[in-house]
Amino acid sequence: MSSQKFFDRLKVQLLFSGPTLFAFFTVVILPFLYGIYLTFTNWDGVSTSHSFVGMKNYLAVLDDAAFWTSMYKTMKYVLLTVILINVVGFFLAYMLTTEIRAKNLFRAGFFTPNLIGGIILGFLWQFIFSNVLVYIGEHFKIGIFSSSWLADPDKAFWTLVIVTTWQYSGYMMVIYIAGLMNIPKELLEAASIDGANAFVRLRKIILPLMVPSFIVCVFLSLQRGFMVYDLNIALTNGGPYKSTQLVSMYVYQKAFLSQKYGAGQAEAFVLFLIVAIVTLIQVYMSKKREVEA
Amino acid sequence: MIKLKMVSAAVLSLSLLLSGCGSSTKESQSSDGKKTASSEVKITLLNSKGEIQAQLEEAAKEFSKENPGTTLEVIPAAAGQSPFEKVTSMYASGNAPTIAMLDPGDVKKFADKALDLSKEKWVNDAVERSLDVVKTEGGKVLGFPFAVEGYGLIYNKAVLDKAVGGNFDPSSIKTRSDLAELMKKIQKTGVASNLQSPMDWSLAGHFLPIGYSVQSNKSEEVEAFLTNLKEGKEDLTKNEKLNGLLDTFDLLKENNINKKDPMSGTYEQGPELLGKGKVGIWFMGNWAWPQIKGFDTTNGNYGFLPVPISDNPDDYGNSQIPVGVTKYLIVDKEQNSPEQQALAKKFLEWLVYNEKGQDVLVNKANIIPAFKNITLEPQDPLAKSIKAYMNNNKTLQFMVTLPPDHWSQVGAFMQQYLDNKIDRKQLLKQIEGYWKSQQ
Repeated sequence: MSSQKFFDRLKVQLLFSGPTLFAFFTVVILPFLYGIYLTFTNWDGVSTSHSFVGMKNYLAVLDDAAFWTSMYKTMKYVLLTVILINVVGFFLAYMLTTEIRAKNLFRAGFFTPNLIGGIILGFLWQFIFSNVLVYIGEHFKIGIFSSSWLADPDKAFWTLVIVTTWQYSGYMMVIYIAGLMNIPKELLEAASIDGANAFVRLRKIILPLMVPSFIVCVFLSLQRGFMVYDLNIALTNGGPYKSTQLVSMYVYQKAFLSQKYGAGQAEAFVLFLIVAIVTLIQVYMSKKREVEA
Repeated sequence: MIKLKMVSAAVLSLSLLLSGCGSSTKESQSSDGKKTASSEVKITLLNSKGEIQAQLEEAAKEFSKENPGTTLEVIPAAAGQSPFEKVTSMYASGNAPTIAMLDPGDVKKFADKALDLSKEKWVNDAVERSLDVVKTEGGKVLGFPFAVEGYGLIYNKAVLDKAVGGNFDPSSIKTRSDLAELMKKIQKTGVASNLQSPMDWSLAGHFLPIGYSVQSNKSEEVEAFLTNLKEGKEDLTKNEKLNGLLDTFDLLKENNINKKDPMSGTYEQGPELLGKGKVGIWFMGNWAWPQIKGFDTTNGNYGFLPVPISDNPDDYGNSQIPVGVTKYLIVDKEQNSPEQQALAKKFLEWLVYNEKGQDVLVNKANIIPAFKNITLEPQDPLAKSIKAYMNNNKTLQFMVTLPPDHWSQVGAFMQQYLDNKIDRKQLLKQIEGYWKSQQ
């Protein structure tokens, strides 16, 4: 390829991808690099000067027991929500692709929670958990509901899991429905003629062919789980006594409330690495399971 | 087309950069030339007291009316957002407010950005010690004391009158046993004695710091106590005063209307229970008045009781309540022109010396001003109660310069203690641990 041609092609490519590249570079790459730079300083967020502290912030991350506790809680939360969201989402999708009445109404209904922002959702459920359920519990003498779930550390954690599942399973359902619709009908027909019952069809045909959808959905729910912040702050606000403070919220508070910008940024970077590694492993492992129809 | 846009975007951003530099040179010229401001001058005020946003906007309108050619815009900081957070982001975007309302502990962090106000007239009229936390070593005054606030055990006088059978006298409560007895009397009338709310900012921003401030009536000694804590030289389990305070906390905890489920309480619950007379006492500050007013059934008969720390009526802290300046205004000198800075100074002066300014501050916004020359009496009963404590010199230091995450971190420990998840010893160890990590 002559260099003239190369530049011609580059021009055309820049014409189309240039603006996006420019935007991506200025709003994603630059802040990201600057953020990494800040992890080596002791900046407090406002002063005009800051000095280099080397690896001190990263050593502080290793020492910060509270960070790892909230990381552990986040892992637990992610594991539970990923399983629940995808099981519920797939189940809903499976039901809503069978011959059932008012399919579209149900689809719209299950999808709606996803359209409500996390903050509003948090306040809505806060009201439900601390007022509505308590009222019902006291009225009908149901022990488990008689005191607010949000006031108990373990139950408060479960409220997070429940609300997240409620919020995202509808979204994953849509992706699964698209996947299910793409499964060739003749395969299923052929299988049933050969005498495969519904369960065998699900296990031997549908699930293997749905792997691409699973990859996407598990990836999305993994990433959202790690990064959850709005729901966390609106529903439990980390309470009672920081027992439900997930890692994003912890990092945010470290940087902005405790005014330790460098340390908070270093923790954010560690979080980024962990999320990147986990999701890469997930995508790599599941790609290997993909099959062709 | 797209390319054109890209180029124009680049040009625009460049020109923004350039104009940023350009305007600063222009400003320095005008300050040299002592040019008077003839054109429209616009200043901004970042308000971090959401409850008085409307009143401040009214003040801004009045002020602009008296000073033609000027506008003052009041920008609210979102509820729950720390003003520090908001202001730093505004600085980072090159859009700093002319006047920013900050928490006391944050003022000095803006030392290189805030205008020195030590030459202003109001400095001499500010009440004693109100400028201590904003004075630099070089004698600069960085902040304008905006609001005085105080807290303690708020009582509903109607409930207490009934309990004691006659006219309740707040000065009759001087010790912990006095308080315990009063609470028993309230309970005999069929009403819960008190509410202890579980908010972290209340528990560790207000309640626990009483334990720091009663260590000594000299602020240097309190400072020294905190320094010792940081260095790990204080054994809190042996600290009589802090333990005394926590004994009182146990008393409040035992009789709490939410005792069964202490963490389920919310702030919103407080004004309703107190205002409707369902509890006699609630630990909170004068900022709760607008909400209490909404449920008031006693014609505004409320007041503060001190939180007693011992059974000796003469102990420091048993007849005092914490009162202090909780909000300061700073004027930016970095990103605002000299005209804007001058106008900002004028506004501050207007608040203190102009009748209309005073009216807005005291009568409309229910602020207790920190200036001796303002003689207007506050309207609401809680502010009146605080004024009375101030006039009798019965005040404790309001610990406003604790580390910024003290209320949140230590608040979590206090909540665990309130919920009986940890005992006294563990609580004190955790508090010690928090302070040690502050070095």
